[in-house]
Amino acid sequence: MRYRIGIDVGGTFTDLVAVDEAGRVVHAKAASTPHDQSLGVMEGLGLLAAALDLGLPHLLAGTERIVHGTTVATNALLERKGARTALLTTEGHRDILEMREGLKDDRYNLRMPPPEPLVPRDLRLGVAERIRHDGRIETPLDPASLARAIEVLRAREVEAVAVCYLHAYRDPSHERATAEAIRAALPGSYVSLSSDVLPQIKEYERTCTTVVNAYVGPALRRYLERLAVRLAEAGSPVPLLIIQSHGGVATVADAVRLAAGAVLSGPAGGVAGAAHVARLTGVGDLIPFDMGGTSTDISLVTAGEAAISSDRKLAGQRVGLQSLDIASIGAGGGSIARVDAGGVLHVGPESAGAMPGPACYGRGGERATVTDANLVLGYLDAANFLGGRARLDTAAAEAAVDRIAIALGVDRMAAAAGIHRVVNTRMAEGVRLVSVRRGIDPRRFALLSFGGAAGLHITDIARQLELTRVIVPRLASVLSAWGMLATDLRYELSRTHLGDASVLSADALRQAFAGMEGEGRARLAATRFAGEVRTQRSAEMRYGEQIFEVMVPLDTLAWERDDLVAQMADAFHARHEALYTYALRDQEAVLVNARIAVIGALSPLAAEHRAASTTGSAAATRRVHLGGWIDVAVHDLDGLSPGQVIAGPAIIESSTTTVLLRPGDNATVTPLGWLDIAVQGRSGG
Amino acid sequence: MTAIDPVTVSVVQHRLQAIVEEMGEAMLRTAYSQILNSSRDFSTALTDPEGRLVAQAEHVPIHVGALPWAVKSVHDYFRGRIHPGDVFLLNDPYRGGNHLPDLTAFVPVFDGDRLAFWAINRSHQSDIGGATHGAYNPAATEIWQEGIRIPPLRLYDRGRLIDDVAELLVLNVRHPRDFRGDLAAMIGSARVGERRLQALLAEFGSPTAHAAIEAVLDGAERQVRAVIAAWPDGVYHGEAIIDDDGHRFRDIHIRATVTKTGSDLVVDLSDSHEEVDGFINSAYANTRSAVVVALAYLIDPETPKNDGAFRPLTVITREGTIVHPRPGKPVTLSTNCCGQEIIEAVIKALAPACPDRAMAGWGRRFRIAIQGRDPRRDRPFIWHLFQARPGGGASPVGDGWPGAGEWQAAGGIKFGSIEVAEVRFPLFFLRHEFRPDSGGDGRFRGGPGGDLAFAVEVAEPAVANTAGDGIRHGACGLFGGHDGAPHHYVLRSASGGKRELKTKEAGIVIAPGDMIIAQSGGGGGWGDPAERSLEERQRDETLGFVTGEAR
Repeated sequence: MRYRIGIDVGGTFTDLVAVDEAGRVVHAKAASTPHDQSLGVMEGLGLLAAALDLGLPHLLAGTERIVHGTTVATNALLERKGARTALLTTEGHRDILEMREGLKDDRYNLRMPPPEPLVPRDLRLGVAERIRHDGRIETPLDPASLARAIEVLRAREVEAVAVCYLHAYRDPSHERATAEAIRAALPGSYVSLSSDVLPQIKEYERTCTTVVNAYVGPALRRYLERLAVRLAEAGSPVPLLIIQSHGGVATVADAVRLAAGAVLSGPAGGVAGAAHVARLTGVGDLIPFDMGGTSTDISLVTAGEAAISSDRKLAGQRVGLQSLDIASIGAGGGSIARVDAGGVLHVGPESAGAMPGPACYGRGGERATVTDANLVLGYLDAANFLGGRARLDTAAAEAAVDRIAIALGVDRMAAAAGIHRVVNTRMAEGVRLVSVRRGIDPRRFALLSFGGAAGLHITDIARQLELTRVIVPRLASVLSAWGMLATDLRYELSRTHLGDASVLSADALRQAFAGMEGEGRARLAATRFAGEVRTQRSAEMRYGEQIFEVMVPLDTLAWERDDLVAQMADAFHARHEALYTYALRDQEAVLVNARIAVIGALSPLAAEHRAASTTGSAAATRRVHLGGWIDVAVHDLDGLSPGQVIAGPAIIESSTTTVLLRPGDNATVTPLGWLDIAVQGRSGG
Repeated sequence: MTAIDPVTVSVVQHRLQAIVEEMGEAMLRTAYSQILNSSRDFSTALTDPEGRLVAQAEHVPIHVGALPWAVKSVHDYFRGRIHPGDVFLLNDPYRGGNHLPDLTAFVPVFDGDRLAFWAINRSHQSDIGGATHGAYNPAATEIWQEGIRIPPLRLYDRGRLIDDVAELLVLNVRHPRDFRGDLAAMIGSARVGERRLQALLAEFGSPTAHAAIEAVLDGAERQVRAVIAAWPDGVYHGEAIIDDDGHRFRDIHIRATVTKTGSDLVVDLSDSHEEVDGFINSAYANTRSAVVVALAYLIDPETPKNDGAFRPLTVITREGTIVHPRPGKPVTLSTNCCGQEIIEAVIKALAPACPDRAMAGWGRRFRIAIQGRDPRRDRPFIWHLFQARPGGGASPVGDGWPGAGEWQAAGGIKFGSIEVAEVRFPLFFLRHEFRPDSGGDGRFRGGPGGDLAFAVEVAEPAVANTAGDGIRHGACGLFGGHDGAPHHYVLRSASGGKRELKTKEAGIVIAPGDMIIAQSGGGGGWGDPAERSLEERQRDETLGFVTGEAR
């Protein structure tokens, strides 16, 4: 049997899935180990092997691919715990990073303090060197000046160095010589060159992206190299693949080199999974809602496609690489509740994380979390958490919630209901962020509920937003890990400054693309990929005096014809007109970047249809608090048969998650064994 | 009115904002001139047929308060003769323009056969004719020396370009190729707005969309009134001083008397200096715009800046003053100066009423426009200086933003890429960093200005004009904070000689290889400097924002 394994490391849990050729899915869940995530991953792999009745070496030997989403880079940025980073610039230009081209976010908020740059001014050092706009060297790299800068790097014990010289996209020689000198003087330092990371004109984007790369690079390198070694030692014969912010995957070496491309690695798996769900279910408009222990990631899939752009801020930083559009809210099952001096209840962004975890985990946590409130409200079963693999300490949860109740001056149940309600409101605001705030009415979308904690909150959030449909996949808690397995291998290549399109010959154009394609195929081959290869060709073009380019897809051109260049220009004029309502057909069309994506199409991920249940859903009952205490039916998800309809209030449990149906919710079991919930009525308590 | 649910209202509000921002994005991405595609000196907006502002993109605040009057001028002039496919232009400051280089394109948006909205793009042209290149003519003493004046003018009739009118405009500017490209981009940007507004009307239905828009405007008014109502009633005074007008006047004052009653504000500028000879006069539309900007800075940032938000405001001026000159006076610098001083006077006046909201002065604009011949491409060029942004003012929450610009744009204008500038212009940038010791001292320090040195690599002499203010008066400190350092610009010739540049000079000859060193002012400080902690002062020195010798 051949397996694919997906590994999703979250702030609280590490989720793993193995999928066999028939689409059968086995999953495992281990506590995350933030100080060294690879420990939790290895423990999870052991659990996964056990679930398959295999030894770990056996499982790994039979595995054709391991795809991993990691939050190491994201956390380093969000928590400002990246490497101590220095920035070397052309002398006289050390403030590019902090000048932000003179722009300030939020135009009318003049009372907002300026952000702290990732590299403080005293670690931004000018080096005497200068390349001109046309590539001529005005000032050769001055070794004495560079040596002085390196002495500062040494004295200040920096771990990472970003190097961004003016016009280095034209000629990387000064940056490369600088890197050699730094590596010789400071072996082990992580050096990041702008001419590698984002070899494009416009120094602000290039500098920021290079700095982010250096800032998160050392942590990502330490982690991935350690994990790769552990996997190899455990007998894995296949290279580890890392999911990238753009939703494709890359090898460990490529991911470490382009660390800034892994900033959204964690949540990207969920979005990839959601796009796969859109294909499987035929529901094209989805709001993927991934609620974990620490944070909730929300995005938007329209007509089956997740939005991608290179023009965004990630974790507050400008990163000029392609990435998915994902909003992250600091609220999840482990979010801690507190009452402020004014008597107002807040939930998150502080999280109990994996250690100590919620009070009810009995690991020494004393502060009430969302999970504690859910236990007190009866939504979780203390005796049967995670399919019976863990027991929850109800008394500890009650004691923690009581502390909130006293601070608020209300009883225990009101405090627990308040925590549940406040966190729902925050997450509904997160959905508004990706939809309403962009002028998109969320009401025509279905919420795709996944992540271990989402099921208890999702229909209330849907009601707050007046959404009427919620889809809960069978493997809701591990959809991200599963979704990674549905992505393709993808390499993006580009070639800059081909010049005025009109002076280009069809042959030169064909050769440029063929050269890039060859390079991409070679990289694919290095991952031992042997399947079908697809390409997507495009050009970034503009009119002579513009400075921004339009992306023009080129796959539909007749590449063999002599008028190829004219076809490309026509495609540009048409695209410009479609985007901006007009074209200037008498003007020169400039080709700035030729781009190609070389895609190793992986065999599609099968999904197993559910047979009718043989056990039936022997419904127990449980007392839950929904405004007042009531008894509701408790169903086992595995015991439900396709076509069955469960009316709320009810609880549906599986080994990884619990779904709360409120009054007015009707869940239909789909052929895949998923829940398709119709939500009716207005938001209540 | 149709009853309307709060979710629809918020979706419509954010959609309108998304539309004006998309119009702005289209403009940025398609414009030809550096001043537009690198420095984004343009604004986009939507109004109703009568000119009530429905939404504006957050680009250049000073543009937008003037638009309602401009729409009225166009609407009144062409009333009954407005059709789908039409495009109108205007730039006259005495009919709702800011100044002549700010050309405005208006695209009417129809709901069936009824005019429902205007989609508007106001963009600063690289050149607009007149006596000097780049529109800023410090020598001008009347508006006819500043460029071509455009009244409400029809450019497209039902989708057909009126080419003779277009040719008249093109013939009157110095760089016809850029002008055509920029005009196409402006109209494209407004048509993007038209296209998306029509999608909005189709999605929600006309009655719902219009009811939602009324609710959005009313909601903004409620939010602003709630803020103003919390301030103590009273009559407040504020004053700002301009260095000179480049002609016979010095120490020119702007005086604001602000009467706050309940949730209403009356801003009376009648006591300001009489109108002056030079181009720092501000026509009424620009003056009202400046007062609107001042209020926008004091209310809650998330309140949408629309017609509703500014209903509590009344602006009183007296004709014949610098803030309401008689038609014919030159005004080109007014979007900067005296626009920024009007903002400063109003905020200084209201500071005692809302000390937790009022911020110290942001730097003043000091610009240079250079015209010459690019020896690399053998083509003429006009380049506008946007680098060396002055510092932002300190606020009650912290130090001022470094190099974030002036009052009237407050971080909304970007200077763009130096690499792109070097590719496109015969310029070479030796230095562009923050200027130490320029931010005003205080409990919170003003942001530092910039320190720029660049060489002009022409083969034959180029000509530069300066336009700005603030080499004697720096950005104002507040509540005991010190003023920011004033500007200091120097022209250093290739032969070694150097001279200080004044803020309003025409016809400066730049010889091949000459260098300009521009040190811009810092922002004002906020609060008593004695209250600044030792740790903050040490940090300032470590980071090099303050050097040891300054103390």
